[in-house]
Amino acid sequence: MKDAGRILRQALALGALSLIVAAAVQFPLVQRFVRGEFRESFFQAAEFPGIRLVTLAEAEELWASGAAVILDARAAGFFDQGHIPGARNVSAAEPGQALPAGLRGAAKDGALLVYCEGGDCQSSLALAKRLHDEGFRDIRVFSGGFEEWTKAGLPEEKGHGQE
Amino acid sequence: MVRNKTLLLVVRLILGGLFVYAGAVKVLDPLDFAQDIRNYRLVGPSLSFIAAIVLPWLEILAGLALILGIWMRGAALVVSGLLVFFIILTLVTMIRGLDVDCGCFGAVSRKSGWGVILEDLGMLALGLVLLVKERTGTRTRCTCPPTR
Repeated sequence: MKDAGRILRQALALGALSLIVAAAVQFPLVQRFVRGEFRESFFQAAEFPGIRLVTLAEAEELWASGAAVILDARAAGFFDQGHIPGARNVSAAEPGQALPAGLRGAAKDGALLVYCEGGDCQSSLALAKRLHDEGFRDIRVFSGGFEEWTKAGLPEEKGHGQE
Repeated sequence: MVRNKTLLLVVRLILGGLFVYAGAVKVLDPLDFAQDIRNYRLVGPSLSFIAAIVLPWLEILAGLALILGIWMRGAALVVSGLLVFFIILTLVTMIRGLDVDCGCFGAVSRKSGWGVILEDLGMLALGLVLLVKERTGTRTRCTCPPTR
């Protein structure tokens, strides 16, 4: 194909141009990235002072001590297949869904442990932000999620659990 | 055979418009898009961030090139390449059983699945039509004799 070289050069030029424009337009974000931000998560921590990310060890400790209300942000189908024992299912995919009755009356400074499937999945953070808007101020997001929990061989519970 | 100039123009406008729109909604919230990429669990946070900054502009510039008729076949190659990548990504995600937002159109995205693949296949067909059939620019202009 005679044109192949030209087409490829055009495509590469578009790629290079994108890189330049992106770096210019998002310069403030790129600067923050270079300084070390956004290496773990992508939410603007300053907007949500009550949210912090926790590791598997911290999540396990909170679960074992019963110090936090545990919330599973995944869809109900995934929750039913298995979840952290004692967790309540508050699917972040349904923003209109009311918070569980127990949570509505809960102390706003009580600890909440939120998780979803894993890999910093969005629904746990989305739920955490929503809870933050509701006034909760101690929200721990277990970013390793259910995947990391089961890989570590920690117990799980199946079925509807408690609402 | 697509020989009709008007039809090719319509294809360019549709595909270009979709890509400009898809890129623009992501440019508005790059951190949200970075999270979408991270959710696929294929690359780490740093690479997700870099992709979230660059990819939307690649979509916008390729889309604009299609609309304006500049570097058209190069843009068609970029668009088709991206769509092939998105289709494979969605298939792999489905096979892995991940429950993620496709991230295709920012906040109006939906779950990765067959719908997304069909949509991408439709756009890929348009991209390939442009890549193969679009013949404009320098090729037709040069009437110079071959030099020795």
